[in-house]
Amino acid sequence: FQYARVGADVTMKCGSMDWDAAVTWTVNGTDIDESHLNGSYLILKNVDLMQSGQYFCYEGSSWHLKYQTYLRVGTPPKEPVLMCRSNNYPKGFYCSWHLPTPTYIPNIFNISVIHGTKEMVCEKDAVLKNRCHIRYLQLFSTVKYKVTLTVTNALGKNFTTLTFDEFAIVKPDPPESVVAKPVPNNPRRLEVSWQNPSSWPDPESFPLKFFLRYRPLILDQWQHVELSDGTSHTITDAYAGKEYIIQVAAKDNDIGTWSDWSVAVHATPWTEEPKHLTTEAQITETTSASTSSFMAPPTTKICDKGAMVGSGAVAVCWTAGLVVAAYSVLFI
Amino acid sequence: MAGADSPSAALQRRDLCARGIRLAGKMRADVVDLLEAYAERQGLDASASVAAVEGVPAAAVERWDEQTGTQRLVENLAAYRAFRALLAQMLEEHREQLGEADAALGRALAAVLLQVSAFAYHLEELLRLESRGPPAEEEEEDEEEEEEADGPPPQPLGLFEQKLRGLGVLRELAQWAVRSARDLRQLAKPSPGSGSAPSLAESP
Repeated sequence: FQYARVGADVTMKCGSMDWDAAVTWTVNGTDIDESHLNGSYLILKNVDLMQSGQYFCYEGSSWHLKYQTYLRVGTPPKEPVLMCRSNNYPKGFYCSWHLPTPTYIPNIFNISVIHGTKEMVCEKDAVLKNRCHIRYLQLFSTVKYKVTLTVTNALGKNFTTLTFDEFAIVKPDPPESVVAKPVPNNPRRLEVSWQNPSSWPDPESFPLKFFLRYRPLILDQWQHVELSDGTSHTITDAYAGKEYIIQVAAKDNDIGTWSDWSVAVHATPWTEEPKHLTTEAQITETTSASTSSFMAPPTTKICDKGAMVGSGAVAVCWTAGLVVAAYSVLFI
Repeated sequence: MAGADSPSAALQRRDLCARGIRLAGKMRADVVDLLEAYAERQGLDASASVAAVEGVPAAAVERWDEQTGTQRLVENLAAYRAFRALLAQMLEEHREQLGEADAALGRALAAVLLQVSAFAYHLEELLRLESRGPPAEEEEEDEEEEEEADGPPPQPLGLFEQKLRGLGVLRELAQWAVRSARDLRQLAKPSPGSGSAPSLAESP
């Protein structure tokens, strides 16, 4: 392998051939024009990424292979982006990294984690190449952690350092299995329940608190509720008949920061079926088939990702939006 | 130890733990506010690294999840008794240096000192419930006197060192308040034996 920086000039010698020997250079099986030759030397000026490839040099008449090399054009690494977070407190934390721009050549990352004077082991993630995990050896320490990430490739080196407290990086994963249901015979209520993130190891000793936000699809403003315990909540001020979007976030009761918002769920409060739409035939059929004369609106509905508009936590279904808009025209 | 296992003792422990957790939470909030005010008044950076200060009990602990209930209570009590003395000293120094010039900070210090004293008493109650009884403070004072007799008397701290120590005291106290809430939650968990502590399950 041979490495060259983008924009550099590269000179390749055809092995032990004399300068004035007749040679042919090829790259990826294609002959290189003689204008790039200085005697038997191949001169590549101001190389770019497209000039990466396998280069061969053949003796003029015999076509004996005299030299080969794989040229990789790339860049030295920029300062890497490093992030550390504890989503499984008090077990430990992980650090993840990436380069802000690709180098197009192989890079080696080296991470060091120091707590006071002690160097800690960062175990590689089983799946992700750019992540490693540290187990806490001490808890409740005021001594900061210092994490240094160095990235090296054939063209250069760079590094970044993060310093933080044990508490500052604690950020749980979002709550899981969020479910929102209408409450029968209650047109302004929605029952919401969720579970602790499965990555949080000991919610009994390290309880989480939660933040619920909800709004009707037709409005932009969120309502917020902070809940210090429990994994359920009843919304009691929903607008009757309007579809709602609901999300939940979690935070350790005492330390750290809020999680990202959970996956959004949709629900519409219970509504009484309009009596004027019911025909005699339907009354007869309903009476004979079931004791209940009302159809409850659908329960939790999660939008298909393909039907979503917007990104992150504020996303709206196209179909839901159209339905609500239609109802809005009728009833508002 | 039979008393500690009875249903009424378990209920009493749970109740004391619950109140203690609330006390610790309030105390932490007040200490954090005091820490910021103190750093600002003293011209210090609240987040700056401060070397471990002699005599200030460090909240840092290894193998925290393996500690027994009694160990937790004894360590907590020793810490809060030490903080009680340290805060009293800080309050005295504050009054000597500033008098009435910074009454608000003095009041905040006094309020935290009161909470620390109350929490120490709370821990003593929990230890009595464990049928251990709290260790006598006189024993600790005697030990300190013996240690002091071995070496020269400590040099009085300069003004800057006093400020740094104060920062260290408040910072460690804030950590302890978090640790204490966690310790009490562990203690409140139902366990088969009076001294055993459940450990976190190991998982990859």
